[in-house]
Amino acid sequence: GTWMPPSNPMNAVVLPTWGAWVEEATEGRVTVRIEHDLGNPAAYYDLVEDGVINAGWSFHGYLPGRFTLPMAVEQPGMGVNAEAASAALWQVHETHFAKANEYEGLELLALITHGPGQLHTREPINSLRDLRNKRIRIGGGVQSALGERMEVTAVAAPGPRVYEMLQQGVIDGVFMPAQEQRSLRLDEVAPNLTLFPGGLYLGSFAMFIDPEFMEQLEPRDADAIRSVSGLKLSAMAGKEWDQADIDGIAYAREKGVNVIELDENHPMVQEFNQLIQGMDDAWVASVQRAGVDAAAALADLRRLALEYAEQN
Amino acid sequence: MSFVAWLKAHYDEKGPIRWLAFLLELIAAVMLMVLMLITCVDVVGRYVFNKPLPGSIELTEIGMAILIFAAMPVVTWRGGHIVVDLLDRYLSTFVVKCLSLLSAIVISGSFYYLGHRIYQLGERSIRRGEVTEFLGISSGYIVQYIAIMSWATALGMITYGVYRIFFQDKSN
Amino acid sequence: MSVILIGFVVLLLLIIVVRMPIAFAMGLVGFFGFAVMMGLSWDNWDTFRWTGPMSMAANRVVSTVQNYSLSVIPLFILMGNLVMRSGLSQELYQASNAFLGHKKGGLAMATVVACGGFSAISGSSLATSATMSKVAMPSMRKYGYSDSLATATIAAGGSLGILIPPSVILVVYGLLTETSIRELFAAGFIPGFIAILFYLGAVQYVVWRNPSAGPAGDRTPWRERLIALRGVLGVLALFVIVMGGIYLGIFTPTEAAGIGAGGAFVIALMRKSLTWSSLFDTLTDTARTSVMLLVVVIGALIFSDFINRAGLPDILLSFVNSLDVQPIVVILVIVGIYLILGMVFESLSMMLLTIPIFYPLVAALGYDLVWFGIVVVIAIEISLITPPVGMNVFVLSAVLRDVKTSTIFKGVGPFWVADILRLLLIIFVVQISLFLPTLLYR
Ligand code: NA
Ligand code: NA
Repeated sequence: GTWMPPSNPMNAVVLPTWGAWVEEATEGRVTVRIEHDLGNPAAYYDLVEDGVINAGWSFHGYLPGRFTLPMAVEQPGMGVNAEAASAALWQVHETHFAKANEYEGLELLALITHGPGQLHTREPINSLRDLRNKRIRIGGGVQSALGERMEVTAVAAPGPRVYEMLQQGVIDGVFMPAQEQRSLRLDEVAPNLTLFPGGLYLGSFAMFIDPEFMEQLEPRDADAIRSVSGLKLSAMAGKEWDQADIDGIAYAREKGVNVIELDENHPMVQEFNQLIQGMDDAWVASVQRAGVDAAAALADLRRLALEYAEQN
Repeated sequence: MSFVAWLKAHYDEKGPIRWLAFLLELIAAVMLMVLMLITCVDVVGRYVFNKPLPGSIELTEIGMAILIFAAMPVVTWRGGHIVVDLLDRYLSTFVVKCLSLLSAIVISGSFYYLGHRIYQLGERSIRRGEVTEFLGISSGYIVQYIAIMSWATALGMITYGVYRIFFQDKSN
Repeated sequence: MSVILIGFVVLLLLIIVVRMPIAFAMGLVGFFGFAVMMGLSWDNWDTFRWTGPMSMAANRVVSTVQNYSLSVIPLFILMGNLVMRSGLSQELYQASNAFLGHKKGGLAMATVVACGGFSAISGSSLATSATMSKVAMPSMRKYGYSDSLATATIAAGGSLGILIPPSVILVVYGLLTETSIRELFAAGFIPGFIAILFYLGAVQYVVWRNPSAGPAGDRTPWRERLIALRGVLGVLALFVIVMGGIYLGIFTPTEAAGIGAGGAFVIALMRKSLTWSSLFDTLTDTARTSVMLLVVVIGALIFSDFINRAGLPDILLSFVNSLDVQPIVVILVIVGIYLILGMVFESLSMMLLTIPIFYPLVAALGYDLVWFGIVVVIAIEISLITPPVGMNVFVLSAVLRDVKTSTIFKGVGPFWVADILRLLLIIFVVQISLFLPTLLYR
């Protein structure tokens, strides 16, 4: 089961590719059929757990409070692309997070992040102070904390309504990955795209499968599915989200969007780095799951991500 | 007019059920006012004070759930759901009453079994610590409220709703 | 495919013969249909994993009653009900009467115009006809209008409530098809205006054929006409706030419902037309209507889960492709289906039942979904006055206990013809509905 428009990288590439992998690994005994729009995105966890669909994906942020650990990857300061972040998150999940059993009732297939969240605005932004009291659409989670620190007027709204709200001027800007320039046609309503190196934050989500379904399969087929999932699937999916961002930026440039790429030394980036001081500690403090050393996990996550980024 | 007289004029339910109907509808009425106020405060706050009402969307969502399921038992036992009564004039009153009884059983059954599953979903959600985005309210409690009101609706329909079909239906 | 057919047959039997409430019939068929799609059969009744369909249905209940966008249903209804309480509808009628009442059939024409005006602040057709019947019927009776003309005018005029924005039906259509709600609202304007003109024509036709059906009323002097216009100001102000706020981007269409209700509440307070008791009545009345509508939404969603799982939209699309006919023929067939279904179904259930099936097809044929939304709403308007189940007609006969449904249906004829002509006009001249959305938003 899936959701989001067909052009989304998950639907266009990731799921079909994974489906082909699964078919190949199980020699055609298991096939993947994609079914669209079965309920609201947050419901996909339940739909898989209760066997309505065999597998699905959803954002962690849609069930606040349940998935606290993977939020580590969403905190600002990762400084890598989605591929590296996804791969590192999967590894850290296996070493640190799995024992907290946040995915109770589900078997995890992959942990994925979208590309770095960037700033799309109606007016050009020259300093973070320009954002003060501007109405910014906030998607929740880490974005809320960022919005608070930037002193913006936070407006909550579902993703598909963003285009309309920007066009009307109900909001002045939005935090989203660069690919949305293309998929949400933000170029038409938010012609200023400010790119921070490594982005403002990341958004994370999970792909998961029904454990009862896995039990019904022959063990060799279940293992075959596992062999084409996990780290391999996470990295592949992350890579596709990165590609979508690259396409999104190219598309924005082509449409005449004012794309500003900031480098590490730009005053606004310095300003941002100042602003996010302490967010790591706040996250560590917010996570109290038994047996998980959150600070060590976060350090490992960052280290693994940088290593991955260097090797690829 | 005294309050009791007003109550009698407004609710044709019997005895204590009259009070129950009033109480449930009072909750629904208050929630409706609250829904209206949430939006107004949020929009005015956004423009006049640069400070929208925090969590206005989730408050609206919770308010909707409370409103709808507070009024659900009363609407249901009064037989207020939309029916196509095309054939009514060709059927005898007795047949119509029997069909209404059948519907009443199906309706209470649906609410009972669904309520059961909804309650379990709520329990699961509380156990896993799921909360709302901005205000951190445990979303499972709202789900369980829906489940409990579903059971109340099922109970109300199979007892008083059925009684009404046979002894109090004014349309026949 | 056979499962879908059986599902539809059982559904119709439950609704029409067993007279089970529509919402529960749809939910029941949807639930068991979905279970069958998941592998339920006669012999695995006890071993079947029921949690699947149960969770699916439970999720629909839980998430629908907590759906932010659906909060417009109670709030737009509340706005209309509050406006009704504050007597604005009465003044709206008096104002249009002052200008039109002295003509032959003038009171009926005034009713049409007042219905159009009231539609601009009411989200539902039933509320519009219920309100106007209380306001316009007494004076039409006083001047000796025939019952059939008087009531048919109100029933037809009331159907404008869902076409002229704001409209609950258009909001639900927008949610189902992910179409812009403010574009839908903008698209409803001109067709609504044309509807008023066509209904005026229908009234004139009736009094031309039978002058005694609608004698002329008293002429109002110009000075009093202008004074009467003042009564329109409240309605106008509310309409400007709601639609202007959406247009200028001050608030979203979802928020507009809350603001509109708030505005109507302030007007009602200023005119001192609320007592604690009447406020309570207005609120509980709104709550009951909202419950009825949301339950239907939930039932329809569970039912559409079943048809989607069964693959009906795809089957339909490939069937239509295999026919190799002009796309417009497909549209006309769909509209025909609406007119037939309209004989039996109530407006919202009909839309919820059909839109998930038809809109992927219409989009695949390359039609604009905003335009299709208006076409569907007009088809639904027609169903509101089509016998044997015309909800507007039923509302009228419930309010006016001494008028028979058959009398109203008899009078509806010319209005029904006017509606069909308008529907064809909107179908073939796409610009009528798309002009404003294109101008304002595209
Ligand atoms: Na309207
Ligand atoms: Na009808």
